[in-house]
Amino acid sequence: MAVATPPTPTAGERVDRLELMWQSRPGVLGWLTTTDHKKIGLLYFWATLVFFAAGGVEALLIRTQLSQPNEKLVSPNTYDQLFTMHGITMIFFFIIPMSTGAFGNYLIPLMIGARDMAFPRMNALSFWLFAASGIFIYTSLFLGIAPNAGWFNYVPLANRQFDTGRNIDFYSLGIIFNSISSTLTAGQFIVTIFKSRAPGMSLNRMPLFCFAYLAASLGLLFALPVLSADTILLFLDRNVGTHFFDVAHGGSALLWQHLFWFFGHPEVYILIVPAMGIATSIIPAFTQRKMVAFPLVAIAELLVVFIGFGVWAHHMFATGMPTISLVFFAAATAMVVIPSTIQVFAWCWSMVTGTARFRTPLLFIAGFIFMFVTGGLTGIMFLAIPFDQQVTDTYFVIAHFHYIIFGAAVFPLFGGMYYWFPKVTGKLYYELPGQISFWILFVGTNLLFFPMHIVGLLGMPRRVYTYSDGLGWTAYNLAETIGGYVTLVGILLLLGNLAASYFRGAPAGPDPWHGPTLEWATSSPPPDYDFPVIPKVTSAYPNWDPADRQEDRRKLAEGVLVLDEGHEQVATSPVDGLFAEIVEMPHESPWPIILALTVSLVFTMLVLQKFGVAAVMAVLCVLALLGWHSKEPQES
Amino acid sequence: MTDYVAGGRRLDEVPRTTEAAEALAVSRALRARLGPPAACWGMLILIASEGMLFAAFIATYYYLRFTSPEWPQDGLPAPKVLVPLILVGCLIATSVPMQLASRAARGGRLVATRLFLLAALVVQSGYFAYEVHDFQDQLRKFDIGRNAYSSIYYTLLGADHAHVALGILFNLWLLGKLARGLTTYRANATQAIAWYWHAVNLITLAVIGTLLSANV
Amino acid sequence: MRRLLVLAPAVLFLSGCRRAQNSLEPRSHQSHVIANLFWWMMGGAWIGLALVVFLLLLSRARANRRGFGRDTEGLKPAERPGWYVVVGAGIAMPIVLLSTLFVIADLFVIRTTEAPAKSATRLTVQVIGHQWWWEVRYRGTDAVTANEIHIPVRTPVRLEVRSDDVIHSFWVPELNRKIDLEPGTTNAIELDADRVGRYRGQCAEFCGLQHAHMGMYVFVDSRAAFRRWLAHEAKPAAAPESALARRGARMFATGSCATCHTIHGTSATSNVGPDLTHVAGRTTLAAVTIDNDEQNLAAWIAHSQSIKPGNEMPDIELRGARLDAVVAYLRGLK
Repeated sequence: MAVATPPTPTAGERVDRLELMWQSRPGVLGWLTTTDHKKIGLLYFWATLVFFAAGGVEALLIRTQLSQPNEKLVSPNTYDQLFTMHGITMIFFFIIPMSTGAFGNYLIPLMIGARDMAFPRMNALSFWLFAASGIFIYTSLFLGIAPNAGWFNYVPLANRQFDTGRNIDFYSLGIIFNSISSTLTAGQFIVTIFKSRAPGMSLNRMPLFCFAYLAASLGLLFALPVLSADTILLFLDRNVGTHFFDVAHGGSALLWQHLFWFFGHPEVYILIVPAMGIATSIIPAFTQRKMVAFPLVAIAELLVVFIGFGVWAHHMFATGMPTISLVFFAAATAMVVIPSTIQVFAWCWSMVTGTARFRTPLLFIAGFIFMFVTGGLTGIMFLAIPFDQQVTDTYFVIAHFHYIIFGAAVFPLFGGMYYWFPKVTGKLYYELPGQISFWILFVGTNLLFFPMHIVGLLGMPRRVYTYSDGLGWTAYNLAETIGGYVTLVGILLLLGNLAASYFRGAPAGPDPWHGPTLEWATSSPPPDYDFPVIPKVTSAYPNWDPADRQEDRRKLAEGVLVLDEGHEQVATSPVDGLFAEIVEMPHESPWPIILALTVSLVFTMLVLQKFGVAAVMAVLCVLALLGWHSKEPQES
Repeated sequence: MTDYVAGGRRLDEVPRTTEAAEALAVSRALRARLGPPAACWGMLILIASEGMLFAAFIATYYYLRFTSPEWPQDGLPAPKVLVPLILVGCLIATSVPMQLASRAARGGRLVATRLFLLAALVVQSGYFAYEVHDFQDQLRKFDIGRNAYSSIYYTLLGADHAHVALGILFNLWLLGKLARGLTTYRANATQAIAWYWHAVNLITLAVIGTLLSANV
Repeated sequence: MRRLLVLAPAVLFLSGCRRAQNSLEPRSHQSHVIANLFWWMMGGAWIGLALVVFLLLLSRARANRRGFGRDTEGLKPAERPGWYVVVGAGIAMPIVLLSTLFVIADLFVIRTTEAPAKSATRLTVQVIGHQWWWEVRYRGTDAVTANEIHIPVRTPVRLEVRSDDVIHSFWVPELNRKIDLEPGTTNAIELDADRVGRYRGQCAEFCGLQHAHMGMYVFVDSRAAFRRWLAHEAKPAAAPESALARRGARMFATGSCATCHTIHGTSATSNVGPDLTHVAGRTTLAAVTIDNDEQNLAAWIAHSQSIKPGNEMPDIELRGARLDAVVAYLRGLK
């Protein structure tokens, strides 16, 4: 339902008033003070692409260093910072913010028929905190003191005794800083999903994309604090003289690992579940059929994160824990496979029984399924404890998780970029370069990651800055490096295609794909207020209900549910999605970026060990919060 | 269309709750509201997050305990039982005036709200002041950097005190806002802050219980 | 035979390489059962992957068959078969397969690879991990060496491991799975090699700058050869035989060398670095980084930092005749 030609004069007046209510400031100031979920989504998109490039450069440096034995491209010190920052960047600064901050922010309100998130200013705060935390941690790399003990940063190596500089302090503080942003985003999604859905959208009519994001958000909410606790304990050990991880004074080295992996395992499901949500959006659109076994898929998305909280010690099978504990965790790991197999067969059967159109988005989803299953199968091998104990900490496990992460998180993100490109830009992308970019990426990533299985079985451990000749590893490493560069070509082609399509693509119209969900029921790109009329929903595929969309057009003419008396939004009941009240939403505000700035100052003072000054900066944060809460909705 | 309106209302009966800016309007608007506002949901999120943080610290306490040959380590004394329990009791009791304040605000009774908040604040501040004094006192007896036991003891206790302090700041802010009258926003805030205090009280009970379990 | 049938592509990959640290060339009962487990799992994995690839190709074959646009009536696909597929292939089949794998691997195979009972083994070797070398002690004797472990063939040996600093991981894939070395606790693993030979391993837990150069050799000797070796290792150091070597011995004992190294029978008794009592009998230096010959030994002493940058041994200010003396002394410590 586009807004281009409103049906009647009074409807036109209403649309004009809506435009006025939701108008944003022009220029840079508009972007700095925005609370519009779409603008924030775009800010996240650009920022995470920058971090993706950084992580990619780190990866290529690693791969080039490893292309030959005894290569001297980088020193061991630099190498250790590179592989650590690669892991941290890709996980915390690319995948999570791209999938939640960019895709989640842009699409969730559109899919649930809302005008914005439940806490728009907090949404902006999430972005500015994320950007600031990225600058914070990358400052350490530019200063040559980046974290260097791996992304999971085991103690005692990360203790002050063995890592004397500020590297690990950048790690602890950077992680905590970043987790504030992600926690706020997670909370945002949970409340929005429960409170802001369109009338009639009971939970069983909510798109699977939103179920996936709900699952990921719940995962983030309950996992991140444990990581924060772990890094707080490490910061205290390193700076205040506590002994949590100091065996000589009653501490424990394994304590770090337990706390870390309690976060770390749910984290990997958090990485892939939003991407699975993207897959469950693309498949119905490109097969023009409803998802097979919708309720099972929805439950599976939630279950995989829930069960994922119970398997953490499978990362610790070689630590010498008693056999009975290992067996318990292996059993839990077996259980967590089931929700994934449910989804894989639901996706495949939907594709087989629908009318598949293998445009670029669906190609990426097919590639995703292939890579996810490959990575999942090697993951299943890890539940055999003796085998895990043979290949853990080798390139076999690097192969496993890159098939999962690149295949199951990144491929759907690429597919999603193509799928929603018309919606965000109003233009169509060029199809042939799109397909070519897929195939180059598919070949490149398989060439890059498959040989790692073999070289791990041949005895190559992880995190080695070089290796000896004569161990049978050289040819595989060279092949992997070539694969890395092929992958680079694929990524450049993909981004170049999107850029060229942005400037010269054909107009897309509101609904080029006959998509099933509500974002396709408004114009491309959507207006600031998303929907001129709050949509009514009677099924899980609202854009495939022509009668309801007709009724929306009629309501616009009659002025029903247009909500143009202010900057207004609907609040509905949590489960049944019944229309409960009308709430006035905050509009643009400078406080999010101001608060993010004061928080950055706190963390900067902490890493410089100026604790008194940090406390003063914290007072500034409190002042910013007071300013934030000074104006109330009825005053705006 | 009315099928999709909560509470069996008509479409034009759905309330605009954020507008109310004086006591009577607030009580009318909030009576019409069918569930907690977004502010309370947001506070639940904060509570869940902080709750998990404390769960991690408490898990750390027990992990260190059960992997140590003796506890407390190095023959340090286990904490006293009676005085901490009495203090926790006083703190938990403040949930009552906080909840009463929340209901008074939603019912439009501004004076009652302020009085209940003030009563809670007095007890909470007294508790906090005593705890700060006691914390410094204990640090003189054994330092945080003594061993893993002292590390987790002071970290767990300190984190709890920090959350009590935050709650006191919330109450001060709220009293400041309520000094200028009642609005939906302020009533929502009272309700959310009451939930915060219920959570902090429960967490404090868990923390003190954990620390006192060294006596067992 | 079954291996080749199931894994033709993998065998093509793996053939033609000189393998030295290969988990798929098992030389002990433990590695054998793990390798077998792998081959079976991999066979199953290829079948699973083939099934999914088949479904994807099938969807490609059936693509575009009804043209663009959505069917709202008539050709609507029936929903019940979809539920059967998802429940059958997505729930029932995985439960059966995973349970089978779990029982076999984690209730049965694991008994072979667990830490051995003390009574089940006939020799105990202690390995203490340091940044970036392995200290090796033979319990009940005075034998102390570094980075190169000798064990008798077809004898269950208990390896007790712990760390002196950060977490390391002992891993000789051809003989058994890996076990972490942690400060403050001792873990154990069994080595029981089928045949005589030299097996290479490497630290498998990132432990700092030179994690990549923390290798080790396990020499599996015949029982008689092992007894001779152990008896020899337990003896104090051989006396220097030439004047040059005697000069080197004096320089060693009075210079900086003795602040870090032990040579039994001399006044050098520090434990910071590896024990050098029988250093000339080792085949490599710096934890299997360079071969142990005269030139490498001299290079290591004079500029170890350019061979293994960041390692704990500083470059020693010795050149010319003085260096030759120390080298000659050490080369005599067989």
